[in-house]
Amino acid sequence: MQEADVVKPKKNIGAGRQCTICNQRRAALKRPKTLEQICRECFYVVFEEEIHRVIVDNQLFKPGERIAIGASGGKDSTVLAYVLSELNRRHNYELDLFLLSVDEGITGYRDDSLETVKRNEIQYGLPLKVVSYKELYGWTMDEIVKMIGLKNNCTFCGVFRRQALDRGAALLKVDKLATGHNADDIAETVLLNILRGDIARLSRCTSITTGEDGPIPRCKPFKYTYEKEIVMYAYFKRLDYFSTECIYSPNAYRGFAREFIKDLERIRPSAILDIIKSGEDFRISTSTKMPEQGTCERCGYISSQKWCKACILLEGLNRGLPKLGIGRSRGITTDRSNDMKQSNGIKNIQSKQCGTLDF
Amino acid sequence: MACSTGTCQSGCYKDNNEEEEQVPKREAANGVTPNGNDIDHHHNLCLKCKVNETIAPPSAAGGGVGDGGRFCADCFRGNLFGKFRFAVTANAMISPSDKVLVAFSGGPSSRVALQFVHEMQHKAQKNFDASRDRSLPVFGVGVAFIDENAIYPACSREFDQSIEEMKLIVSNLAPPRKEFHVAPIGSIYSSDFSDGRDRLKELLNAVSDVTGKEDLLLHLRMLSLQKIALENGYTKLVLGSCTSRIACHVIAATVKGQGYSLAADIQYVDARWEIPIVLPLRDCLTQELNMLCCLDRLETVEAINRPCSGINGLVSSFVKLLQEENPSRECTIVRTAGKLTPFHFNRIPETDDGNAHLASQRRQKKFNLKPNESLPPESFCPICHSPLNNCDLPSFSSFEDDQTSAGIFGASCCPSCRFQIVPKEPSSMVQFYSLLPQPIISRAKDGGCGNQRWLREQIQDCLLSDNEDGT
Amino acid sequence: MQLTLEFGGGLELLCNSVKIHNVDVDLQSQAGEKLTMKDLLAWVHTNLIKERPEMFMKGDTVRPGVLVLVNDCDWELSGQLDTTLGEKDSVVFISTLHGG
Repeated sequence: MQEADVVKPKKNIGAGRQCTICNQRRAALKRPKTLEQICRECFYVVFEEEIHRVIVDNQLFKPGERIAIGASGGKDSTVLAYVLSELNRRHNYELDLFLLSVDEGITGYRDDSLETVKRNEIQYGLPLKVVSYKELYGWTMDEIVKMIGLKNNCTFCGVFRRQALDRGAALLKVDKLATGHNADDIAETVLLNILRGDIARLSRCTSITTGEDGPIPRCKPFKYTYEKEIVMYAYFKRLDYFSTECIYSPNAYRGFAREFIKDLERIRPSAILDIIKSGEDFRISTSTKMPEQGTCERCGYISSQKWCKACILLEGLNRGLPKLGIGRSRGITTDRSNDMKQSNGIKNIQSKQCGTLDF
Repeated sequence: MACSTGTCQSGCYKDNNEEEEQVPKREAANGVTPNGNDIDHHHNLCLKCKVNETIAPPSAAGGGVGDGGRFCADCFRGNLFGKFRFAVTANAMISPSDKVLVAFSGGPSSRVALQFVHEMQHKAQKNFDASRDRSLPVFGVGVAFIDENAIYPACSREFDQSIEEMKLIVSNLAPPRKEFHVAPIGSIYSSDFSDGRDRLKELLNAVSDVTGKEDLLLHLRMLSLQKIALENGYTKLVLGSCTSRIACHVIAATVKGQGYSLAADIQYVDARWEIPIVLPLRDCLTQELNMLCCLDRLETVEAINRPCSGINGLVSSFVKLLQEENPSRECTIVRTAGKLTPFHFNRIPETDDGNAHLASQRRQKKFNLKPNESLPPESFCPICHSPLNNCDLPSFSSFEDDQTSAGIFGASCCPSCRFQIVPKEPSSMVQFYSLLPQPIISRAKDGGCGNQRWLREQIQDCLLSDNEDGT
Repeated sequence: MQLTLEFGGGLELLCNSVKIHNVDVDLQSQAGEKLTMKDLLAWVHTNLIKERPEMFMKGDTVRPGVLVLVNDCDWELSGQLDTTLGEKDSVVFISTLHGG
């Protein structure tokens, strides 16, 4: 073991490499975006400043706004809450930040992750609002699964969550909702929309701000942030996050598309940003617009139909006909075969189908 | 329908009219799942003629035989040829005065393309011989093989044998007789062959990215085909690109950040080239083409063994996996990309040739030919020839410090080629530039791309303002 | 050789929900050769992973999407599978694949 004397700190090949930014400290990671080898301290700076630039360049927030952060307790939203409160202080955004969580009522999963969010509330000093399926819809996911089984439960959960976030945001009287979607998520969504033939969503899914015509716009400050860097940041900063899969959709993240993106990242890290760029550049004629938005006659939520999707599903549950509203795509008939197939529980091409985030 | 009467045995596609052919086409495009309700599970009878047994049991359809699980051999053949003929007529791909060049690699897709083009020509010839006034000329057909032996060396005896086999295939597809062109890929350099071969090798060596190398070779192959077509008076270039191949391209282009230009590559017609390219097998799956080669004993030749590594390899295994999971996935991918807005050059340009035009108009369906809004002429990447997005045009600061022709060339390429093909280091860039074949250089210099003019103006501005600052 | 192995981001679920494992790896690869990450991965695969090994490994390396840090340093900087290990080193595996 003679080499031990030559290489001082540890015997790793890369241990001696220095940060290419400060040229002083030992490099701790390789940035996927730039392939730079940088130390922890420089990583914190570039990571946070890049997000600051994205916020400023895209005018995501205006001074004085109230902003809800969609908080699931997972890595992305935890890092988002931490970084946003940090940047708000450092750059005087003058924002009132809130944490907004949805309690789906899943014992052994959401109750645990909500504990994480509650700790975050204290750690970052951000007020937390929890809206629950039980209080909004009268049903917990546990009860829904008991009634309908494990098939299609993600459809209920997805539809309900989207509306729950909007309702929670309305209760908090916030101007905007920030979600933790990262670059990997968006690249994956671009691919999934191609695989599904959903041109309308394909044209929307790369927008950094969506729903500006709706009640509460949503934005994605992590649009250009790699998942790898988010996880590294959380690890180095020892941020407290929750990482257990949903018990009702345990393998939902094992999707082909996610796997493909990770394989791509390994041989060409820039591919993730290239997919997002493609998504932004696709020539989609503006005539393929979204269906006209009205409001649900039953609950007043935005809807293109007479009743919103949540009300249709809820009606089915309450009348004991849970199949109601399942498998019907929203008025677009062309991809019926695919939609049917996916809602029938074939989750192979999906990954975060039942994640805590939704598009 | 002719087929429903139970006389399917006699190659029914020959009597079918186009309206009938559309029906199976639609079904295939919408991706009927193999175990869909419309399949009779009790007898494996052909869905179309309802008389003969299907080629494969329906349950095997998902296992990669496409329509083989639904049709008998004759209806299968008719359906496939129908998709081809519909693509050709609806998009006015071939007119009687045309001379078409079929790019033949030896593989099943281009083999079927060749077969179908021949059948169409053969029939046109018969009609011509039978007609009294002989007003409709018969289009000419030639075949081209690009020899990439310089890049992917094969055993020379085997290779010579492959060429002989291909010659035989082509000569058997007569009458009418077809000329067979074999050109080494090095011949894109107009100088002598061995010199071209060495320069080509050096050029590819200057590209460090594996995927970039593969893609550059693909672009050079297209240049070679264009060159053969141009030198021998061909007016159309037929490629055997099938749905599966195009689906891979859709994903690969997305991954490489080529979202803007993607719509240009996947249409039936691509007339941005000097000789317009047509893709008559755009609606056929690779499994179906393989099946037809099998059924009809169409000889294929394994002449080139192109490696597929890097991004392209990853993409094709991904698409293959998806297709196994859902047999309509490739169709859906191509259909999604088909909804992107095509470019003005994605249609056969109007010609003044009154006679030919009249003749083709008789067959052509108009609905695919809605003219796009007239746009300013596109600028193209000199390497991959993809249309450039305005916001990707090089900011002129990027070559402020490099006003050599090599530097300007690099800056005029699309972001994707700049990333994976163009060398980053200035000295290797100069070398790379010096090795490029003439057509690429002249494409960059050509006034044909407005980009170049734009660049020049930018440089002028820069020079002027520099002078002003200086004085 | 004493090593500290940490599993995070959901990977702990594959080894009885234990996050930190202090292990003694008595692996003699080739005589005189140092223990590499490649050797360690094979060892972890057989000795620590209790279920769904495909969530951790793909081929002879970690599944894409699993981050590896050797002594708190991204293993992409130290040669990935060829990274050599020494006494009392710490190795962290974090999955990025679990919900956000």
